[in-house]
Amino acid sequence: MLVLGIETSCDETSAALVTDGRTVLSNIIANQLDLHRKYGGVVPEIAARRHTELIGYVINEALDVGGKSLTDVEAVAVTAKQGLVGSLLVGVAAAKTLSYVLRVPLIGVHHIEGHIFANLLSNPEIPLPHVCLTVSGGHTLLVYIKGHCQYELLGGTVDDAAGEAFDKIAKFLDLGFPGGPIIDRLAAQGDRKAFNFPRPLLKAKTNYFSFSGLKTAIINAFKHQLATGKVLPLEDIAASFQEAVVEVLVTKTLRAAKQREVSAISVTGGVSANRRLREVFTDTCSAEGIKVYFPDLSLCTDNAAMIAAAGHARLAHGQADDLSLDVVPNVPLEVQHAG
Amino acid sequence: MLVLGIDTSGYANAIGVVDGERILADFMFETRNESLAKIMLNIDSVLKGAGLGLEDIEGFGVGLGPGSWTGIRIGVTVGKMLAYCTGKPLKGISTLEVLAYRARDYHRLICPIVDAGAGGTIYAAFYRAANDKINQIGDYYVGDLPGLVEMIKEPTVLVADKAQEYLGIIGNSIQPNTVEALEKSPRGAAVAKLAAARLESGEQDDMLALAPLYLKESTARAFVNKYSGRALEV
Repeated sequence: MLVLGIETSCDETSAALVTDGRTVLSNIIANQLDLHRKYGGVVPEIAARRHTELIGYVINEALDVGGKSLTDVEAVAVTAKQGLVGSLLVGVAAAKTLSYVLRVPLIGVHHIEGHIFANLLSNPEIPLPHVCLTVSGGHTLLVYIKGHCQYELLGGTVDDAAGEAFDKIAKFLDLGFPGGPIIDRLAAQGDRKAFNFPRPLLKAKTNYFSFSGLKTAIINAFKHQLATGKVLPLEDIAASFQEAVVEVLVTKTLRAAKQREVSAISVTGGVSANRRLREVFTDTCSAEGIKVYFPDLSLCTDNAAMIAAAGHARLAHGQADDLSLDVVPNVPLEVQHAG
Repeated sequence: MLVLGIDTSGYANAIGVVDGERILADFMFETRNESLAKIMLNIDSVLKGAGLGLEDIEGFGVGLGPGSWTGIRIGVTVGKMLAYCTGKPLKGISTLEVLAYRARDYHRLICPIVDAGAGGTIYAAFYRAANDKINQIGDYYVGDLPGLVEMIKEPTVLVADKAQEYLGIIGNSIQPNTVEALEKSPRGAAVAKLAAARLESGEQDDMLALAPLYLKESTARAFVNKYSGRALEV
């Protein structure tokens, strides 16, 4: 079955063709970073305008690159839940029109479920059940994946998302936007032990995260250095900050995996592209006899292939939406919505 | 030419179908914040009510705004995708022109107004009707109502969904009888008629590129680092 996926939940306009929820024929991602960079973050109105300009082009290109025509499309999946409302509605408006004209099923997908499927697309062999960490600029969530499309939310962040902390630190240190890849690069040349930044909630027996205090600690350390007139080793700050985030993410995910007695962990979302995060996860999990899976780098950040794959799975469970599908900017990942 | 017209720049789905000059359907669905949820169902019911299928439609017209930014994006995206999926031509029409068109029988200057929704800002323009055609005079106006009134030097009809309210506000600041009020909303059939005339003369928009008419930039300000004083670079 050929599914056309559409994703416009934040600042990436994306369309993809995926067959049988497994094979990605095309995955077109129009990145808007250049438009948002000078603001140090995504500006919702600018993002929504750009989506409106680009949506037709990315859909057209997804069909072109995938070597298919509109009449080959058998279902349309679109991110309808979780994201910027003005951005989401451009994708949903396009998807509804396609579904109406082509007379094919329409599936509204939760953005986080999409990220979970990004990992399944790259690693179809991931055993069930397993524990999944979704970590990006907008989310830090621990999900217990009981079965196909069956989720139990284990925990999440009580303030900033991990990727958001990267962005905010980069913005504060005047490094640019987005912060993730910049800090990853800088940290590779720094001393991870130069600063002993706090590891928030590391020891607490909770599956919840907090990154706002860590951000404040770094800002204070930076101000202190500025006041004492020292030369600022940005690489060391970046490496020490990244190490603190990575340690918290890995330790808590592993603890959740052990609590649930699973033999596998999947890590997904934009931050799952971070090299140090992958390294520490791989080393720690291998020492504990747990397998860890990451998506291909092309599927880490927001993309429509993962939405098409998630939509295909939901359709296989007999779930589809009608033409009254609306956007929901903030809603928890459904618990056990499989039929 | 059978044309489907859509305008979602206000708090309604305005949907109409025309066959050239003849109106086959013209409906206004109050939707408020359910514009996206209802749009396809409303289009479907209008077509069915007119005894038509989507395959009968030969072209599409869409109101480009100005108006609610979120609202316009819904109609413009739906219009673009309808044209893309059916391969039929598309023409975008300024929502101000749609309003002006509805006052084309007035032998005076026509001034459609759309509320920008915040801080008393309005979008407006001036049009003149001649031989059932309307032509825009000068540029679009973005500002407050008193600023617009200063530009009015001759008998004018204000066209807006709350034209009487505007007239009440400006009543004393202008010569008596200079300004009349006509309460109209942008209707789907008017969008369709204006689009049909242009499509029939071979004019059409790029169905992938067509973008809304916002008339105002997003108000975001560039981030400047407090310590370095440096703005983030583009």
